[in-house]
Amino acid sequence: MSLVPGLEHWFILSTLFFAIGLYGVLSRRSAVGVLIGVELMLNSTALNFVIFNRYLATPFLDGAVMMIFVIAVAAAEAVLAMAIFVQIFRSRHSVDISTMTEMRY
Amino acid sequence: MYYLPELVIVAAGFFVLISDLFMPKHHRKYLPPLSLGAAAIAIGLLLANVNVAAEYLGGRFVISPLTTWFKIIFLLGGAFTVLLTWNSKRFERITAPGEFFSILLFTQVGMMCLISSTDLASLYISLELSTIPLFALAAWKRGDKYSGEAGIKYVLYGALASALLLYGFGLLYASSGSLDLRVVGDTFTATPLAWIALALVISGVGFKLTLTPFHFWAADVYQGAPTPVTAYLSVASKAAGLAFMFQIFFGMFGAQLAEWQWLIAALATASMTVGNLIAIIQRNIKRFMAFSSISQAGYLIMGFIGPYPEGAPAMLFYMLIFAFTNMAVFGVIMWYDDETGRTDINDYHGLSKTNPVLALVMLLALFSLAGVPPMAGFVGKFFLFSIAAKAGMHWLVAVAAINSTISLFYYLRIVRAMYIETPTEGQRRLPVSPVMQTTLAVTTAGVIFLGVIPLFYNLIERHLTDWLRWFAGW
Repeated sequence: MSLVPGLEHWFILSTLFFAIGLYGVLSRRSAVGVLIGVELMLNSTALNFVIFNRYLATPFLDGAVMMIFVIAVAAAEAVLAMAIFVQIFRSRHSVDISTMTEMRY
Repeated sequence: MYYLPELVIVAAGFFVLISDLFMPKHHRKYLPPLSLGAAAIAIGLLLANVNVAAEYLGGRFVISPLTTWFKIIFLLGGAFTVLLTWNSKRFERITAPGEFFSILLFTQVGMMCLISSTDLASLYISLELSTIPLFALAAWKRGDKYSGEAGIKYVLYGALASALLLYGFGLLYASSGSLDLRVVGDTFTATPLAWIALALVISGVGFKLTLTPFHFWAADVYQGAPTPVTAYLSVASKAAGLAFMFQIFFGMFGAQLAEWQWLIAALATASMTVGNLIAIIQRNIKRFMAFSSISQAGYLIMGFIGPYPEGAPAMLFYMLIFAFTNMAVFGVIMWYDDETGRTDINDYHGLSKTNPVLALVMLLALFSLAGVPPMAGFVGKFFLFSIAAKAGMHWLVAVAAINSTISLFYYLRIVRAMYIETPTEGQRRLPVSPVMQTTLAVTTAGVIFLGVIPLFYNLIERHLTDWLRWFAGW
């Protein structure tokens, strides 16, 4: 039995990250917690691209390039989200998303 | 140099951003005409080369009649949004115009690259470029709790949708070993992995196009965002969603699309029905327009059924009509919001007595959205419904027709508020700025003439049919 992790092991790891992130998104009440969950999901997809590149599309670097873009975009998204959270915190003194029910029909 | 329109918009975006830093405050009034001029130049360049097909960057950036027509629609949406904010009293007080217009122009570039890209990497980047800045635009009114709430809901939903979409892209990459859309589509086999990937990708598309199980963000974001941003979301961002769906369904899975008729029919039915039924009980007009535009997205995707060569031009034509029609409605909403600060349907009581011309514009645009015959919306819907009928899905045509009737009921609620209810005490005639008059005149002309004059549909159809024959071999 070989102890070197293969495609399946890495894929299970990234799927686990994705599922943990999704659980975080669905269960957190703080917007920052939700954002951390989303970031975990985005990073699991970045990991996915690297894994698939390494094991399934070896001679090319498409997946690795995609991974860099994913990380950059996720960073931009996180910065913008944090800026919006700060703005909301100034007016509401909380970023608890379960209290954000101002708008009804 | 057929990518010149993109370059013009990028240059204008940076120019607006940088010149705003060094400009004296009283010169900021030149920013809207500058952005508008850039959009007009880009539209002119696109119209001059509308029937051109070209490839750049090793086939990663494609120009065809389809992409050109989409870009014209995006730029029209952007130009109308700039026109709505120009001369707005309320809007000028709350914003940094330099950042606003540069962000608007950058999202335009994202949309234009979205329809031109041919691989998953550039598709994803341009999709995010057309989405992420919109989070900031939705939260633009600093200190306003509605706008902030809209921003936070949009950013969290948007980030989640992008994570799901990317996971789907990752699985597609795993099943094909390539990021090229055509290769991914050609090597598509019906494995469980591929179905999961497809479901994830469709959830990303559904978010952008506000299709029904993925529409939950739309109502709050449309209501809370500043009115011009809502207009932009409902026209340009929706067109970008349609462009993205074109990329996924025609660009990637064109060969499999025939087997997915039921999926499209189910999404269309759900969006139409949910959007229309919930719109009936709305009291805020921006929230009302959110549900109206969800149901319009449902009509729109009926063009994917088949696929028939008529589908793409029908959807594109409807999107063009929708851009003019929705911008006419949002022009009136923006004007009323700007003058009075009110956005409830009840606030429109007696508008026909105080401002008869604007009430008439609203009436014509709403009739077009509902699909009342002489208006453009009817012609657009006719082409879309005829595609479902051609595929033998008569039940879908019946559902769509019933939904149009329901929609007429709730659009008439606004007409009733304007024409039958008496004005509230002390309501007087409100002024309309020359820019707003021009905007409403142009959009209303579109609402009336786009459907009646066959030139526009013929043009789109001829360009696209030639291209589709070459592209998909239909």
